[in-house]
Amino acid sequence: MLLKLSDFLQPKKAVNVESRTTTLNIEHVTKRFDDFVAVNDLSLKARAGRIFGLLGPNGAGKTTTIRMIVNITAPDSGRILLFGQHMTAALQDRIGYLPEERGLYKRMKIGEQLRFFAELKNLDGREATRRIDLWLEKVKLSDWRNKKTMELSKGMQQKVQFIAAVLHDPELLILDEPFTGLDPISVALIEGLVLELKAAGKTIIFSTHGMEQAERICDDICLLNKSKKVLDGSLREVKSSFGRNAVALRVDGAADVLNDRSLVSQLQTSSDEVEAVLAEGIDSQELLQRILATGARITKFELVEPSLRDIFISKVGQTNE
Amino acid sequence: MNKLLAIIKREYVQRVRSRMFLFTTILGPMMLVVFAVVPSLIFNIKAGGDTRIAVLDQTGKLYDRVSSSVLKDEIETPPPAPSTDDVMLRKIGPEAKNSSIDALKAGAQVRFQVEPAPLQGDLTSTKDALNERVKNGELDGYVVIPADVFDAGVVQFYARNLSDVPTRDKLQERISRAIIEQRLLDANIAPDVIRKKSESVNLQPFPAGGSGKEDKGGAVIAAFIVGFLIYITILMYGQTILGAVVEEKETRIAEILFSSVKSFTLLIGKLIGVSLVALTQLTIWGLVLAAFAVYGVGMLIARGMDIPEFHVQPLMLTYFVLFFLLGYFLYATIYALLGSIVTTAQEGGQLAVPVVFTLLAGLYLAFPVIRSPDSSFAFWISMVPFFSPITMVVRLVTQAPPFWQIALSLALGFSTVVLIMWVAARIYRTGMLMYGKKASIPEIMRWIRQA
Repeated sequence: MLLKLSDFLQPKKAVNVESRTTTLNIEHVTKRFDDFVAVNDLSLKARAGRIFGLLGPNGAGKTTTIRMIVNITAPDSGRILLFGQHMTAALQDRIGYLPEERGLYKRMKIGEQLRFFAELKNLDGREATRRIDLWLEKVKLSDWRNKKTMELSKGMQQKVQFIAAVLHDPELLILDEPFTGLDPISVALIEGLVLELKAAGKTIIFSTHGMEQAERICDDICLLNKSKKVLDGSLREVKSSFGRNAVALRVDGAADVLNDRSLVSQLQTSSDEVEAVLAEGIDSQELLQRILATGARITKFELVEPSLRDIFISKVGQTNE
Repeated sequence: MNKLLAIIKREYVQRVRSRMFLFTTILGPMMLVVFAVVPSLIFNIKAGGDTRIAVLDQTGKLYDRVSSSVLKDEIETPPPAPSTDDVMLRKIGPEAKNSSIDALKAGAQVRFQVEPAPLQGDLTSTKDALNERVKNGELDGYVVIPADVFDAGVVQFYARNLSDVPTRDKLQERISRAIIEQRLLDANIAPDVIRKKSESVNLQPFPAGGSGKEDKGGAVIAAFIVGFLIYITILMYGQTILGAVVEEKETRIAEILFSSVKSFTLLIGKLIGVSLVALTQLTIWGLVLAAFAVYGVGMLIARGMDIPEFHVQPLMLTYFVLFFLLGYFLYATIYALLGSIVTTAQEGGQLAVPVVFTLLAGLYLAFPVIRSPDSSFAFWISMVPFFSPITMVVRLVTQAPPFWQIALSLALGFSTVVLIMWVAARIYRTGMLMYGKKASIPEIMRWIRQA
């Protein structure tokens, strides 16, 4: 790609990627609708230059949380600090928001439409035009500038919506399920843009229930279920603290060892390899020694990290029981 | 403020540029014509050919007179007296005298073919024969003039179709004309003398204390046109607002908008933007009407057509705009409110039916107001905010009410607008983010309280 994001993003005060600056700080926030508690005593922090994954099943309270962050609704109790300040209308201009349920004006031309959304973020008209050109070129939609929304495919519309969210160069970008309905090439394109924005020091909140996606791009995660936070932290911390001990191995023989329930609590065979979940208190080293002792030949022995999906299912399943 | 301007600009530019705007700008005045003229024209269409009737004259001396009277539309006026005053009067003519609207109705087309029906045998067998001819389609009907018609004054009309009222009326009128003439002749009075001496008097209307110019019904027509234009414009742009709000809700654009502007800013921006579109359209119509008044009317008058005149003062124009804006904001806000609580435009249309009826009631109430613009009925009706945009304007055109009434009506109206906007803004805020189902009344009441 010839175009660099830095060509048209305004130079930011040098933000260290490792910076621990907190962009968003949610403290003990509760929101109810009549008798239904949508968000219950939620606290979380999103740091600059990182991608924060807001995860959870449908109805967990993700959208309500996001709506409070972008000042569409106000919390009943607790407080939300953005860039260290309480929410004001002016702060809204520093946020870019791509809602899950999104749309464009059907009969409006793409260029005009993007300009309108930019104006609503107080972006100067000429600057908006310049950026619209650059962004449309970036997502390869320059030829569609003067077409109406209804003439575009769904995937194209989604790219336009993404542009609408980032056009005013927001410091905080909130993406609610940005990849649904996109083809793999478009997914890769948008994902690349998100990572570029992250590299430029933006804070990105990424809400999804697609765990594979989240695992690929999130630095930090927060898992919500039934309006409560179930766990949060950096992806690495979360994974290592999740005490699941499994080994993927390819081995000839040693069936007795693998079928020993005091060693291996669960065994899953897939084509030429097996995944063995170790029993309580058993170290992977112990299993390795026992297999070696049988004289069996090992071609693969790998510790398996729990996937985000496993964590999600186990945590959400637990609290649902 | 910039954001509000951006919203107003978008609403205005997108709509004025649309093909729909062009279409309605042309269609609006055509609708007015359709609404005012076409019903009476359609009513007067005589789809079939001439009405063929036979006359069975039992007096033995009336047939010629009756048949010539039935065939003739008007009795020939005697040759005009060589007086210049008289010419002007006759040009207007007895039937065109009333008002231009009535004149449209007067031209009901009725044409007859008449033949004598000689008595064959007794009356019953003659009638049987005639009935047979009507049945076979050779005749449409027949008239029996009894021998005692001069005293009893009753003539029987037998026909296949008796529901053609204009034909019946004309037939009655023309037969009685013939019989009256015969009665006069029998009494040795010359019908020409009677006709001339009994010509009716023409009532010339002048506004009291006015410029001394004759009023030709211009105010009534102007009142109707202005009332109708306000009605159609409010209705049209109310629906536009409804559609726009539903679109933003349906496509979930509202969510993006609310993350950038306050919901109230969005609502107000939308209402103002669309109101400017409506005013643009009204201005175009106004200019076309003015151009027509200057050139067209002059031309028609030069050709000898009798066109009523009407002048609009600048103050009056200001009032029109004020009352139009009052009506627009009142109804458009309600439409916006409805749009925010439904899920589809169709649902919105159903909910809007009572609103349309209220507006239509205003238009109908304008008619009694035109007839007696200073009655207490007219006063009260023009104080009700939902009707005043039409009824008060009609009063302004026909007979200007005292200033305090105009001011009171405007004050009441705009207070209602503020109140409705306050309520609508609260419902709109919550309603726009509720997807999937139409809001229930208790829910809406709660939104108003909680917001």
